[in-house]
Amino acid sequence: MTRNEVYAARNRSLLMYTSAVIVLAVGVTYAAVPLYRMFCAATGFAGTPMVGQGRFEAERLVPVEGARRIKVHFNADTSDQLPWKFTPQQQYVTVLPGETSLAFYKAKNKSDKDIIGIATYNVTPDRIAPYFAKVECFCFEEQKLLAGEEVDMPLLFFIDKDILDDPSCCKIDDVVLSYTFFRARRNTQGNLEPDAPEEVVQNSLGFGEYEHAPKAEDRKAGGSSSP
Amino acid sequence: MSFGRPPSISTGFQVTPPDRGSFPLDHYGECKDQMMAYVTCLRNNSNSSTPCRHLNKAYLECRMNKGLMERDEWKNLGLSNVEKEAKPAKD
Repeated sequence: MTRNEVYAARNRSLLMYTSAVIVLAVGVTYAAVPLYRMFCAATGFAGTPMVGQGRFEAERLVPVEGARRIKVHFNADTSDQLPWKFTPQQQYVTVLPGETSLAFYKAKNKSDKDIIGIATYNVTPDRIAPYFAKVECFCFEEQKLLAGEEVDMPLLFFIDKDILDDPSCCKIDDVVLSYTFFRARRNTQGNLEPDAPEEVVQNSLGFGEYEHAPKAEDRKAGGSSSP
Repeated sequence: MSFGRPPSISTGFQVTPPDRGSFPLDHYGECKDQMMAYVTCLRNNSNSSTPCRHLNKAYLECRMNKGLMERDEWKNLGLSNVEKEAKPAKD
């Protein structure tokens, strides 16, 4: 082969390799975003919330035998606009950390119309909130009760066993879990929300002592409404 | 990430929904018997949850059978080491 042909052949192969590398790099940058998302969702890296079934690994749900029992009191409230009778079926339950426990509330619609209610919950003292985990309950989603209907509402929860390692939580013996039922109304986005003034709802969530920034709708409307 | 962090804006101070969402309402009282058995057991055992776990399991089993709860393995609900039948302890 002449020298030019050798050079031409080498240049062609160099061109092929270089364009292959470029195409590969572009492909990797396209694939990086979904791959990173999948990695984060699988490992919970960088604080990605792992929601849905199985967020609690089975190992967290094992009762710690011999640990101090914690008494969980149950409290039930209803808003004045809601003609429901809402009571807990048991005043308290003593549980072990890590033990999934069941509790029941009973709700009766005393009026003669079908009403949709929505419940918020709050757990005190505040420092137990990260350890108090609800596996399944009846809050935050609309619950429709027909006129005069009475229904039992269950709640499955546990207190994470890491609470035993937390020095600020080691003296906790009593926990109060309170649920507040409100009438549900649709907000401007079309979602159901409690039909009560904002302060009342935040109070039922346990955030009554905190200052709140005004909601986006209030800010846009002139920002004169109080939090 | 670690489960037991102190409360911060992203955890603890935010009210989070439950892991599996909301129990569908038992409008027809299909699992009422299991519920009453559980509540009675709690009363008899000074409201301690450990002796009544088999009834806890029975109630959730009833819910799963009647389509009021998604079927799942017991270990994901923390009830894998609980026998189905009543234990010899007072019930």
